[in-house]
Amino acid sequence: MSLENVSIRDVLYEAPGPKTRMKIRIATAISIVIMIGLLAVIVRQFYITGQLKTKYWSFYGRVTTWLFLGKGLLGTLKVAVISGVIAFLTGMLLMMGRISKSKLLNGVSAVIIEFSRGVPTLLFIYFFFLVAPQFGLKLPAFWKISVPVALSATGVVAEVLRSGVNAVPKGQTEAAFSLGMTNRSVFFKIVFPQAFMYVIPALIAEIVIVLKDTTFAYVVNYSDLMQNSKVLISNYDALLSVYLVTAIIYILINYMLNRISVKLAGKNPLF
Amino acid sequence: MSILELLSQFGDKYWLALLTTWKLTTVSFILAFLAGVVITVMRICPIKPLRNLGDFYVQIFRNIPGSALLILLVYAFPYLKMVWSYYTCVLIATTIIPSAFCSEYLIAGINTIEVGQIEAARSLGMNFGKIIKNVVLPQAIRSSVLPMTNLLVATMLTTALASQVPLKPTELTGIVSYINTHAVGGVTAFLISAVMYCATAVVIGQIGNLIDRKVRIMR
Repeated sequence: MSLENVSIRDVLYEAPGPKTRMKIRIATAISIVIMIGLLAVIVRQFYITGQLKTKYWSFYGRVTTWLFLGKGLLGTLKVAVISGVIAFLTGMLLMMGRISKSKLLNGVSAVIIEFSRGVPTLLFIYFFFLVAPQFGLKLPAFWKISVPVALSATGVVAEVLRSGVNAVPKGQTEAAFSLGMTNRSVFFKIVFPQAFMYVIPALIAEIVIVLKDTTFAYVVNYSDLMQNSKVLISNYDALLSVYLVTAIIYILINYMLNRISVKLAGKNPLF
Repeated sequence: MSILELLSQFGDKYWLALLTTWKLTTVSFILAFLAGVVITVMRICPIKPLRNLGDFYVQIFRNIPGSALLILLVYAFPYLKMVWSYYTCVLIATTIIPSAFCSEYLIAGINTIEVGQIEAARSLGMNFGKIIKNVVLPQAIRSSVLPMTNLLVATMLTTALASQVPLKPTELTGIVSYINTHAVGGVTAFLISAVMYCATAVVIGQIGNLIDRKVRIMR
């Protein structure tokens, strides 16, 4: 069931009578007042600390600022896309290992998946940033961030794909076999296309995680949105406003991805 | 460096790091769960502005990257005369983000409750508070054991954020960077931390499955 299905929220209480309506109205008024008060406190804090001064915000009126941030965002998206593709391909392999009949393949895939899901992205990044160079493995900054981000997503992708494969009714596989289809064509023509459709929302949700993980690019000095924000900060001496706007950009992108994921989940015929 | 050398030199540091990660994870998770319950109640209450505020909170904090939040707390908030210790900043970040996901899981759990149950409870004369306390939350929590288990693991992974600030004592991710800047720790230094994380995650997963089997609601 999708998170957007909020019907239960509305049946929790029946149509209120006049007394309850009054109570709700009063509570609503009070909560609005409190929320406006909170907002006022926040704005006041910005004001008395001088963070509302135009010098902290005026540079957002310039095209160059946005072009620079856009360039950073492009870097972020590049890492996210490449990591996503790598994670999908390796996740696909791990999933096939997990559903294969070979005990060895199955076990190895299971261990890799657990490892990928159980280790924080930052630790993988430190591996490629600090440890790998000791063995002469010196990757460019782009790969130093893309590979670990992909590595920490691949386990989840594998499990998501596997759940999709398991969701396809067994009868279909049996029917396909009885028609004389081979193992391979049953999987690629019958099972996987449906499994994939089924897990698209979960995969999009995983893209959000990948996108969040790319913010660690500053660890390896790759110029993504976060890194370019840092440059803006030193240029304009405006830390708070820049980090705030950057955070909002990330939130908006992820929010839109989540909306798409929910929309697609609602349309899926298999649900 | 061999694993024995590494452990004899940094053994207690690893132990301390593991304990720090566990402690940070536990504290964050408990706080996140409590906050998540409060947010969820806000999101289903009849008062519209509170609902919207709850939805807003969840959308902000499930979508903000952890590092962006931590950087705001550590470096930007002091400009607003809000200065907190590194530990507090980390704890806020590792609590707020999981709390948003916690609320999402609870709402998903609530959505699995049938409308008829609410109607039955109401016809027994229960008010909103009683319905929430006796009908909705117990079921929502019971059917969210597996998501909560995943949330606990995710919280543990989020605590790796602590390595981004000079926190004493260091946790499991920070220690790898510490060892590699003080000695050549190599792959072993990384593997020890990684295995500790994984082992914790696997144990949490197993316990979660066990509890889920006990309390799962068969429908």
